[in-house]
Amino acid sequence: MSRTITLGPREVGLEEPMYFRVEVEGETVTGLDVVAGQVHRGMEHLVMKRNLYQNITLLERLCSLCSNSHPSTFCTAVEEIAGICIPARAEYLRAIADEIKRISSHLFNCAVIAHIVGRGTLFRGVMETREIMQETKEAIYGNRMDLAANCIGGVRYDLAPESAAFLGREMERMKAPLDELYRIYATDADLTARTEGVGVLPRRDAVACAVVGPVARASGVAYDVRTKSPYGAYDRLRVEVAGEGAGDVRARTLVRLREARESVSLIEQCLAQMPAEPACLDTLPEIPAGEAIAKSEAPRGELIYYLNTDGTDMPARLKWRVPSYMNWDALAVMLKGEKVSAIPLVVNSIDPCISCTDR
Amino acid sequence: MTELSEKVPAALSRRIGEEVAVEWRIDAKGVMTGWCRLRQGAFILPAAEGVARLGGRLSMVTASLSAGARQRGVREIAYHFDLDGTTLTLTIELPLEGAEVPSLTPVFRNADWNEREFMELYAIRVIGHPDPRRLFLDKSIEPAAFERLIPYSTFTNGASSTALWAKVMTRAGGEEAP
Repeated sequence: MSRTITLGPREVGLEEPMYFRVEVEGETVTGLDVVAGQVHRGMEHLVMKRNLYQNITLLERLCSLCSNSHPSTFCTAVEEIAGICIPARAEYLRAIADEIKRISSHLFNCAVIAHIVGRGTLFRGVMETREIMQETKEAIYGNRMDLAANCIGGVRYDLAPESAAFLGREMERMKAPLDELYRIYATDADLTARTEGVGVLPRRDAVACAVVGPVARASGVAYDVRTKSPYGAYDRLRVEVAGEGAGDVRARTLVRLREARESVSLIEQCLAQMPAEPACLDTLPEIPAGEAIAKSEAPRGELIYYLNTDGTDMPARLKWRVPSYMNWDALAVMLKGEKVSAIPLVVNSIDPCISCTDR
Repeated sequence: MTELSEKVPAALSRRIGEEVAVEWRIDAKGVMTGWCRLRQGAFILPAAEGVARLGGRLSMVTASLSAGARQRGVREIAYHFDLDGTTLTLTIELPLEGAEVPSLTPVFRNADWNEREFMELYAIRVIGHPDPRRLFLDKSIEPAAFERLIPYSTFTNGASSTALWAKVMTRAGGEEAP
């Protein structure tokens, strides 16, 4: 017999308020309706009431895990309209901040996967590895989540030689644990049994739902903004795009772990290539009227900003679409035919960001 | 310039049935963006079909009602498509009153949420949307929220700061106003 159940945040492995109306027959999911808007903050309205500089601070508070991607992409849009070329050193420093955030974000998601399948020791191991990155952020930026790294015309921080050496050593510390975590998630029989063939998003559905980031790449869509539309320093970095084909929970987890390892390599490349020059422009031109698109590869995938200016220092319109936005719809495909007990695992496997969605 | 600069206008013109010009920009990294204003709002559906035929993806939809557009007596919607790394923005103008636009959901599944969202924020009707429910805002809130909530935004913009400062200074026994 068909019936509808409502799942709130605590039942689906999240402690953020997204609600699901799930149609079930017995224990099997037959349909899904996502109910968003529980914490909608009207931020797209607020940004039009603040000037371009104030908005950098506001946008960094959109969400915590990808909190560097928002201000850096916004700054790129402003710089595009104003014809500002930021120093190459600033481009590398933005990439470093982005990649540090990516490692932390991906490891957090993989840790929650371990938690949901009841692997407490593994959960702790992943979080301890992530803690290296959290402490690195605190040492370099003075904060563990919001880095306040970006400004129009460059970045607000620099790496002195000793800081760069410290960052390099921390990256070296990450390599062995990340390799070991990948080995565990790829070969552990218990984990494989829980995640393989679960929550499958076939490639054609990934294309139809227009998903991006690790969710798309785990379904065989090899799209990464860092290589498709290079920005900042990425046109000078060697980026290996991680890809899997199975489109299941396991594939999405493995893509994230490979990307975390790749981020270590990218940070090392940045440290090796970064020229010695100022990290920010001294003076900025007036921001003229215009419109621009800026994109970046946030931890969860393609982040796109559209900025329209009218010659004042307030945006006439600023719109952004976060990578999580399309994943909610893709959940309907992933969950159809799955058992109710698999819902928390599958929902977490899209690395959902409610605060990004309910902006 | 890549072959897209020729393929895109040709595909749009063929679908719409009249000549369409696209302005292309290339940034410092060699990434291309295309910008095009369609003459009629109804053209967006055939144009989207043209983009889909080229393998495009709907990235985002930006509805807006800027002061400049309002002065011209119009509102705008910008549809942003991805063509393997190149972003194509097709903008349409709609009237301030009675604005309606065809749904792109028959062409792009992910138009669903984008259209539901701009329906609740702006006074725009989407014709043919398969599920035109509210997406984020509670059903008890009147529609076109972005166009009505100015008093709240003025409040959040710190409009009360002068009065607050005067109160603080009065209590501190100092000057009454900054």
